[in-house]
Amino acid sequence: MTMKKRHFSKFFSSGYLILILLFIYLPIAYLVLFSFNEGKSMTNFSGFSTRWYEQLFQKEHAMVDSIWTTLLVAGIATLVSTVVGTVAAIGLSKAKRIIRTAVLEINNLPVMNPDIVTAIGLMLLFISVKVQPSMVTLILSHISFCIPYVILTVMPKLRQLDDNVAEAALDLGATPWKALTKVIIPQIYPAILSGALIAFSMSLDDFVVSYFNSGPGINTISMYVYSMKRYNLSVNAMSTLIVAVVTVILVLVNVIPWIKDKKVQKEET
Amino acid sequence: MSKKLIAVLLLICLAVLPVCSLADGTLNVMNYGNYIDEQVLRNFEKEFGVKINYSTTDTPEGMYTKLQTGVSFDVVITSDYMIDRLIKEKKILPLDKGIVTNLDQLSDSVKNLYYDPDNTYTVPYLWQNVVLCYDTTKIDPAKVEELGWGILLDPELDGHVFLFDSFRDIFMMALKNLGYSTNTENRDELMQAYDWLVKMNQTIHPSYVGDEMIDGMAQGEKWIAMMYSGDAVYASMENEKLAICAPKEGTCIAVDAMFIPASASNAELANQFINYVLDYDNAMMITVETCYSTPNAKVAEDVTAEGGEFEGIEWYVPRAGYDKDEIYTDNDLLRTEGPELLMKVKLQ
Amino acid sequence: MKSFFRMSYPYILWIAVFIVAPMIMILLYALTRTGNNTLTFQFTLDNFARFFSDPDFLKVLLTSLRIALLTTVFCLLIGYPAALFMANLSDRAQTLMTLLMTLPMWINMLLKTYAWRGILLNFDFSSELKVFIGMVYDFLPFMIIQIHTAIAKLDPNLLVAAHDLGANSVKSFLKVTLPLSVPGIISGITLVFLPAVSSFVIPKMLGGGNYVLIGNLIEIYFQQTGDWNFGSAISLIMALIIIAAMWATKKLDRTAQEE
Repeated sequence: MTMKKRHFSKFFSSGYLILILLFIYLPIAYLVLFSFNEGKSMTNFSGFSTRWYEQLFQKEHAMVDSIWTTLLVAGIATLVSTVVGTVAAIGLSKAKRIIRTAVLEINNLPVMNPDIVTAIGLMLLFISVKVQPSMVTLILSHISFCIPYVILTVMPKLRQLDDNVAEAALDLGATPWKALTKVIIPQIYPAILSGALIAFSMSLDDFVVSYFNSGPGINTISMYVYSMKRYNLSVNAMSTLIVAVVTVILVLVNVIPWIKDKKVQKEET
Repeated sequence: MSKKLIAVLLLICLAVLPVCSLADGTLNVMNYGNYIDEQVLRNFEKEFGVKINYSTTDTPEGMYTKLQTGVSFDVVITSDYMIDRLIKEKKILPLDKGIVTNLDQLSDSVKNLYYDPDNTYTVPYLWQNVVLCYDTTKIDPAKVEELGWGILLDPELDGHVFLFDSFRDIFMMALKNLGYSTNTENRDELMQAYDWLVKMNQTIHPSYVGDEMIDGMAQGEKWIAMMYSGDAVYASMENEKLAICAPKEGTCIAVDAMFIPASASNAELANQFINYVLDYDNAMMITVETCYSTPNAKVAEDVTAEGGEFEGIEWYVPRAGYDKDEIYTDNDLLRTEGPELLMKVKLQ
Repeated sequence: MKSFFRMSYPYILWIAVFIVAPMIMILLYALTRTGNNTLTFQFTLDNFARFFSDPDFLKVLLTSLRIALLTTVFCLLIGYPAALFMANLSDRAQTLMTLLMTLPMWINMLLKTYAWRGILLNFDFSSELKVFIGMVYDFLPFMIIQIHTAIAKLDPNLLVAAHDLGANSVKSFLKVTLPLSVPGIISGITLVFLPAVSSFVIPKMLGGGNYVLIGNLIEIYFQQTGDWNFGSAISLIMALIIIAAMWATKKLDRTAQEE
């Protein structure tokens, strides 16, 4: 390729990627912009004001509650599903082939099924055993769709493990518990963390399962926004804050290891 | 690594704290959206030292489904025909008139309702008509008054119409225009109404929405809407170009009322809440915030009098006593076939 | 070590209760007569017959399939070049791009759809176009990331070899990159088409009351009409369609890999 062609194609490909990014960030930018709107409308920007942030913290108790609910449910669901999922994955990797295949196939159902089918199945289950929809049913529902993702993330890493290391540990007198915590888990730790992150993001993003399985007055962020028929720009204020927090966290998570690496490099030279 | 674990656990604990501060008693209330002044709830919580779990649904059918999932609600506010059905199904507890003493504040126009003439089970909450709200600069008022619901068959309105997504109200328009009762048990009449609606749908392609039409009309997004009179009053107060019409073919009088479901867990507190909401000050706050007509006689008098919030607003008080207006009753035909027929109308 | 297999027992119990039992419930409701929230155990195939005999329902099914297909094709057409260009960036730039693509995934889909509702109010589009835009927006990042992962895994030496053998960039793309990226394309299609078919939030929030897809149909029968039996039948039909489609794509993937 000639220099001109190379520059042109670089220009074109960068331009294309920028357009895609603009498209992806358009609604987010729109949310943030209108969170500072003087007026009530989502289409007419009439002036700059922070009134919606004030309203969010002073009047919108139900909305703020929904944030806590979302975090609580996601937190508990992630914790439980990571533990149960990891334990199950380890157990399955050592189980008979038939059992492993059967369980993994069933495990795939919540992942493959449309979320509305999963949601309704759980709702019918709770009703048939006469359990009232509540915070408990909400959390249980989230756990049940998070665990499969943890298993799907951890299993491949388990398969890569060298069994001999754990066997050696047992031969050298380690208890099964020690073999587990000192040998197996440290080796699969990145996959566990990755699985936990995926579970957390699935729980945060959920709407349908929560919609069909929560109790009176209990709302996650998505449920609250869905039930809002009229525009209330406090939602924009809340969204902007969420975007800010997510950005900070993702930047930190990616920058800190980079800084650590640089430090190690410096020390080495 | 253990530091990360501790941080995560701390975060979870912090998240749990606000939710854990539950008061001694809790009251589960279900209502329509935008149908109360939240300050009334806050005041009740403070005065009685309890927490209110407030849920909303768009339609009576949605409310009924929520009850079916086994949730225990203490106070429910919904529409007349749904209450009719629940009373027939024996799913409502009688009120404790020893606690609900404010019944004497009720205005005469909401007394003696067919489904509960002596207020044994229910207390009216807000009432209204279903009306046409339209932009006078886009549609000639004389035309609206002349055609009534029939104006919805006018091709000129194509793409400029809001309809409230409620099957009883939508079928009511068709049945009234055809000269039938909104409570018909005659399948032929219902199917004729269905055909009318299909024709309407194909002629004007309306937007079937919920409360978004209130701001929509206030901002002039569409020319005409079938909406509830309270919302129409609000929209017309925000947008001077709007006028309201209760069609001459007749419309419905809807009385939404409060009741205590049989599955309530806190009946005593529920009675207290109902009594509280009925009282002058709270009824005043609610009617001013929602713009719907209050059943409290004194409040209604004061807001329409000189200096009142709704002074001179013709449609604040719904039309009553017009012989072609009806109140909805529940019947098998409409209940089982109505929602599906509406869905099919939208698909044509 | 062998005894570790007992660690799987708790989970087996869990899936029996929380995955298998719910599906059985849906099956039971779908196969019995209407009893609203109580199971009647009067078995019948009426619910299925009702769905397939009514042209309106079939219309809804076809509309859902159509818009899911359009969304998938469009995501593929726009997403593939993006994934390709991303893969040609420097490592650091690629990490940055991946980060930028995934950040919006941490923001709830309802919030983003709510934003689109506001944006689209400024335009006089049809319901279908609005829903289409919302769907493409929601699923595009998945398609891009799946394809990018597949392309990034490719051995760069393959392209070098192709050039050495005299192929220009277009040819080496068509003969080397494209075929080898097919697994990424297939998983991208899976992650877009299947959820798109069953979507109900985006059609409801962006399409208004007029635009009814299969997901909306299920919601209507459960929430408004109260006919849980029919709603379950529709859910089952949809689940079966999707499981069949997934099985077909798995087979496609396997044959593609064998080649």
